[in-house]
Amino acid sequence: MDRLLNQRQRALLLSAFAALALLAVTVAGFLLSDAAMVTDFSRKNLAPCLAYPFGTDWMGRDMLARTLTGLSLSIRIGVLTAAVSAVVALAVGTAAATLGRRVDAVLSWCIDLVMGIPHILLVILISLAFGKGFVGVVAGVALSHWTSLARLLRGEVLQLRSAPYVLTAEKLGRTRLQVARDHLLPHLLPQFLTGLILLFPHAILHEASVTFLGFGLSSEQPAIGVILSESMSYLTTGKWWLAFFPGLMLVATVALFALLGDRLRRILDPATIHQ
Amino acid sequence: MKRLLPCLLSLTLIAGCASGGTASTTPAAEHPADEVVVVMGPTSEPEAGFDPAFGWGAGEHVHEPLIQSTLTVTNADLTIGYDLATGMSVSDDGLTWTVTIRDDVSFTDGEPLTAADVAFTYNTVKATSSVNDFTMLSSAEAVDDTTVVFHMTTPYSIWPYTMAIVGIVPEHAYDSATYGSNPIGSGRYTLVQWDRGEQIILEANPDYYGEAPKMKKVTILFMEEDAAFLAVQAGQADLAYTSAVYADQSPTGYSLLSCESVDNRGINLPTEGNPVTADLAVRRAINIGVDREEMIRNVLGGYGTPAYSVCDKLPWYNPASEVAYDPEEAVRLLEEAGWVLGDDGVRVKDGVRAELNILYSTGDSVRQALAADLSNQLAELGIACTTEGVGWDTAYDRALTTPLVWGWGAHTPMELYNIYHTMPDTGTALYSPYANPTVDSYMDQALRCAGLEDSYELWQKAQWDGTTGVTQDGDIPWVWLVNVNHLYWVRDGLQVAEQKIHPHGHGWSIVNNVDQWSFAS
Repeated sequence: MDRLLNQRQRALLLSAFAALALLAVTVAGFLLSDAAMVTDFSRKNLAPCLAYPFGTDWMGRDMLARTLTGLSLSIRIGVLTAAVSAVVALAVGTAAATLGRRVDAVLSWCIDLVMGIPHILLVILISLAFGKGFVGVVAGVALSHWTSLARLLRGEVLQLRSAPYVLTAEKLGRTRLQVARDHLLPHLLPQFLTGLILLFPHAILHEASVTFLGFGLSSEQPAIGVILSESMSYLTTGKWWLAFFPGLMLVATVALFALLGDRLRRILDPATIHQ
Repeated sequence: MKRLLPCLLSLTLIAGCASGGTASTTPAAEHPADEVVVVMGPTSEPEAGFDPAFGWGAGEHVHEPLIQSTLTVTNADLTIGYDLATGMSVSDDGLTWTVTIRDDVSFTDGEPLTAADVAFTYNTVKATSSVNDFTMLSSAEAVDDTTVVFHMTTPYSIWPYTMAIVGIVPEHAYDSATYGSNPIGSGRYTLVQWDRGEQIILEANPDYYGEAPKMKKVTILFMEEDAAFLAVQAGQADLAYTSAVYADQSPTGYSLLSCESVDNRGINLPTEGNPVTADLAVRRAINIGVDREEMIRNVLGGYGTPAYSVCDKLPWYNPASEVAYDPEEAVRLLEEAGWVLGDDGVRVKDGVRAELNILYSTGDSVRQALAADLSNQLAELGIACTTEGVGWDTAYDRALTTPLVWGWGAHTPMELYNIYHTMPDTGTALYSPYANPTVDSYMDQALRCAGLEDSYELWQKAQWDGTTGVTQDGDIPWVWLVNVNHLYWVRDGLQVAEQKIHPHGHGWSIVNNVDQWSFAS
């Protein structure tokens, strides 16, 4: 393998694989969403078997369909929240770095404030304020996860602004907008994209936790958090499959996203171009 | 990945915490014959303590207060018997109740219990109780040491049922700030220890005026359902509540006790505000198109009875409420009313699709499963259903236009009034839109009635009088589905005394007669 492909190609291959796997889960879950809602009491509490590889629950719902639909929902929420977070982070980060010292002080203070509150608490509070459900979760996760990326981008922009080639461009009469577009943005893009991808796993896990705790998605929806919290009451009676497979799939999804982000960083990082 | 690890770990931790619980140990081998350990759910722990003014014994989940005495008690058949009372009478206009009480009763601090304490108790609960309705009471007055007179604002024939849940507190030792955690009463037991969030220890009152309790010490632990089951497996409890989820297990040394209840589950069908349920034919079709036995098998593991009213098997129940499962007739009713089956299996009438969203309270797996089973069954009739979990913060409002899975069942006919009687300010019933002047008038008459016996008949007529009512041939604004049996693991050898039919609330009812329990030697 080492001789066939260089590190860059391997990274490309791996990220393609991760992206494909995630896409497959998303699409499969989307297609199975009707099947996941079907309750059939004639097949309740079945252990994993050929027909139902993940077993069924106390209302006879197919856990495979439920798990995939739940993950698909999680991923879609993840995409939405990560996108919102990243855009907020980009806007705040650049604004703090370019709009002068006062704005910077205010925005930095905001970042510190949001970072100072424990994440899960903040997500719960915002989700409750937005009336729970899909909107609540998206708002909660999106409005609490932009801070670290914003801080990173701010630092990056601050550094760039005093870089020789930017200063030179300004001296040559380029407008601020032109400088931002032609010189700042290309440099920021790798950081931004990597940050965006790495927001996914956080978003998904926090969506699952907040739903698990009962402040997120409604209990009739096939969400991973709902599945896991429901399974709690059945563990003592030995129905391990209700928590095991969905939990495993959640971890796998999160790990895939982390892998994707990590490889993407390597591909985009100019320093690794020749590896 | 480094930052993800804490996230993953915290998720695991949260999951682990949810199943925690504590238990005091009582080794099975050397079990004392007059002590018993009972496990109840965490919600059974009275938040405000053992003060009748703050809901102890009363409220939504009625039970005998144990620590205090009551004037009356409900018998096994839910008629009225006497505890402190020796006699009662009501004036012809129904506005004055005179109750005579025993003269040989004292509180556990040695002071005698007199009519003044009774009057004080009722005046106090009227002033402070937010849990129970005492608007019908004007004031209570002690005429002499053993006679108390209740002045009513309006006739209230079922007053004896209220008297069965109000524990009498001592006037000389009542402080609303401390009484809840340090109650003094004259009942069968005294509170000796209360560890909040964990347990309550009751000991028999040595000076009790009635038959001395056989169980000298009662320990009540508060645990989640899974922790309760683990406590049973570990042999740490003598009796523990459980549910159908665990009923197929067989912990050694225990057997399952299934108690009949009026702890019913049913759905409201708003008679206005919802284009589907506003149609009488739809409501009637649902009532006979639901196979209650199948529901009991599927959802309750067989531990339940079909429900046809909010008060099945109680003295004020009208047997005319009962219906037979008849899906063909249900379909005929729908077709006759113009609900035509569409190509997609859903009926349509005048452009309105027969679609219902059935709400249930989030986190209640039984109600969720009932909603799911109901929606499967209704789909066969051509009524398409979705289910949705809601919190109680929004459920009451949404139920005004959408069916919600409710749980009711109390030891008083007042529940019929609360569900079916119109409110004066809105002209419609409180929980789900419904109004029928005839039904209203029967219930008004029942409350004005002089004798309880006569009132039962009027409560029954409110349900169905032969021409109108709230049953299948009447307006059927609510469809009742099942009564959920209350299940308990009982240690072999423990003789649980015969239970009166359990009301809503899977908690204190079981220990109503704990004083009569015993261990077979």
